Amino acid sequence: MQKIKIAIGFLSVLILLSCYSTRIKVSNGQAEPDDTEREDALSGLWVRELDTIVKVKTITDENPINIRDCESGALHTVEYKSTFGGILLYLVTFGRKRTVKVKYVCIKESN
Amino acid sequence: MATTKITERQRWDTLHKNGPFELKLFLSTRLEKKGNMPSSIDRYNDAATEIRKLLREALDKNEGFRAIGSKWSMSSIAHHEDRMHFNSFMNMKFPILASEMHPDSDYLQENLFFLQCGNQIKEISLYLQDLGKSLKTTGASNGQTIAGCISTGVHGSAIDVGSVQDYVVGLNLIIGPDPEDVIYLERHTKPALSNVLPDKINAKVIRNDSLFNAALVSLGSFGFIHGVLIEAEDQFLLTRYVRKISKDTALELARTLDFKNTTFKIPEEVDANGSPLRPYHYKVFINPYGNEDKYVVEALYKKKFDPLYKEKHGDPIPFMKEFVYRDLIYLFIKISERFPKAIPKFVKALNNTILPSEDEKIVGRLSEIFWDAGYQGRAFACSFGVDHKDSVKALDVLSQLTKDEGPIPGIFAMRFIKKSDALLAFSKFPFTCMIEIDGIQWKKSNKLMSLEEYTKRMIEVLKENNIPFTIHWGKNADWGFPKLAEHMFQDNVEAWMKHRSALLSKGMAKVFSNNFLKTAGLDHYEENASEDLIATIT
Ligand SMILES: Cc1cc2nc3c(=O)[nH]c(=O)nc-3n(C[C@H](O)[C@H](O)[C@H](O)COP(=O)(O)OP(=O)(O)OC[C@H]3O[C@@H](n4cnc5c(N)ncnc54)[C@H](O)[C@@H]3O)c2cc1C
Repeated sequence: MQKIKIAIGFLSVLILLSCYSTRIKVSNGQAEPDDTEREDALSGLWVRELDTIVKVKTITDENPINIRDCESGALHTVEYKSTFGGILLYLVTFGRKRTVKVKYVCIKESN
Repeated sequence: MATTKITERQRWDTLHKNGPFELKLFLSTRLEKKGNMPSSIDRYNDAATEIRKLLREALDKNEGFRAIGSKWSMSSIAHHEDRMHFNSFMNMKFPILASEMHPDSDYLQENLFFLQCGNQIKEISLYLQDLGKSLKTTGASNGQTIAGCISTGVHGSAIDVGSVQDYVVGLNLIIGPDPEDVIYLERHTKPALSNVLPDKINAKVIRNDSLFNAALVSLGSFGFIHGVLIEAEDQFLLTRYVRKISKDTALELARTLDFKNTTFKIPEEVDANGSPLRPYHYKVFINPYGNEDKYVVEALYKKKFDPLYKEKHGDPIPFMKEFVYRDLIYLFIKISERFPKAIPKFVKALNNTILPSEDEKIVGRLSEIFWDAGYQGRAFACSFGVDHKDSVKALDVLSQLTKDEGPIPGIFAMRFIKKSDALLAFSKFPFTCMIEIDGIQWKKSNKLMSLEEYTKRMIEVLKENNIPFTIHWGKNADWGFPKLAEHMFQDNVEAWMKHRSALLSKGMAKVFSNNFLKTAGLDHYEENASEDLIATIT
């Protein structure tokens, strides 16, 4: 019982430590706005999400994920999220499968 | 062709969740792609045709139509329950050509820019920056649209400059569904453009000071503002200082704006005789619950542009900007609703994070000093304009109310603005002091009055103390307070409604009205308004 408790405690700490998000934004660009009801730091902005699993083959180099829906052709904000599940997947597949969880905001198209 | 996405909705809310409000249709127009329509003027006119079509639909269905900007207003001024139109993607920008200048114009051609309504302050600043130009002033942040700014009268604290609408020199309005409903309006005493650009955009020209001043701060109700002609200026730098100075000095400066004869002196900011310079911007921060004998003040001085400013003084934009953890604020508010006596302690505890800290001087462009705002969640803001000579008395009356009948989870600030010519500008005094209280929304409890009650009491105490005042149209207030608009603006209210009635048909006046206008008693339509009110004056 004691061991299970320790294991659960250890796992919880691991989960907490491995879940984080980082937000990067450009300072000299106009973010694309939107009328949303969101109440987080990206409120008022058009937030797009990328939630996928990338398979990396042994014989190919890593390929970039192409973002095609920014009309301006430029990114304003990128929020990267690392989750416990993602790390677990990475570990059990020896790095061949990676969870990519990214929120991004484009630069507003200039006219 | 410009296209409008129309979405059925049940509700809509402001950025800071001051609603929610009911809504039927949400519209958002996108311009035709540049590749499909390479001429900018064609794309602009194409967008105008689309807006006229949308106005036709609203008119035919006997429904209201309200253009919105970035929905940064906290009052319900941007709301209409029928149709709301998001303008932000209508963001074309045009420099003015020599051939488009009015022969009698006093403006420098290189300083005039024609901006479509949905341009946000930040993108305008970036655009101007590339041309070595700058806006003259902005609000404390940069997310509003140009049309949204002038419709409520957005200001900073540029003492001798004025508000955003004060550097607008021409307006392109769409006042109905027909081709002849496109208008270019400017002052007859200060013409900017010849008929060349108006002809290109198929606009009928009206040069008339009174009509222009009525339409300038329009509360969203003088037609659809399609384009705004602004006067920019050469790029400049601001040096920013935050200091804690004696409360008496800070308030004396607010009351007199006499910066020459004050003990507040920044050693680098003095004239040849060693007297303090008059700052470009002066702001005072006040914790209404503190007994501090010192106030935090912010002073900015205008300087010639130096391209090496970042090398010399560092980057004015912080590498990482810190904001107070929102959940922490919400927790405080939840506790405050039950234990209001804790509010002063919370405000004090947050003092260091809410108020700017005394630090090294910062040097940057206007757009870098008044930069992005972090989203602070469910916020409220009340903002009263008084003659700066009454500012100390008004602050005393309002903070006493806040202490006696509150407390309210917010802090006060004072900013200063030069008089505007716009009929309904809240900056109506020679120098208006805007006394603002900003904070986080709370719920009424048996120990804590509601925001509505608080805003009503603020009006009452200012009236009881015979302090003439105005209120920021985009902020929280008891807008239904009896005869409020007349009390604030006297005869200008009638003049504003008359000009509006003369310009708009009865049907379109209804389309461009909303509950806010009705509540504020500004929706009256005068059937027989004189045509002279909208005639060009030569
Ligand atoms: C974080 C924050 C900081 C702020 N700082 C300041 C400040 O420093 N100084 C200050 O004065 N205010 C400030 N405000 C208030 C805010 O700037 C104003 O209320 C401003 O008017 C909002 O502009 P907007 O583009 O969001 O317009 P909205 O709030 O969406 O709309 C405002 C009005 O403009 C009308 N409108 C918009 N576009 C058109 C159009 N094309 N044609 C006709 N009418 C139109 C709307 O109908 C509405 O009546 C702040 C608000 C926030 C949230």
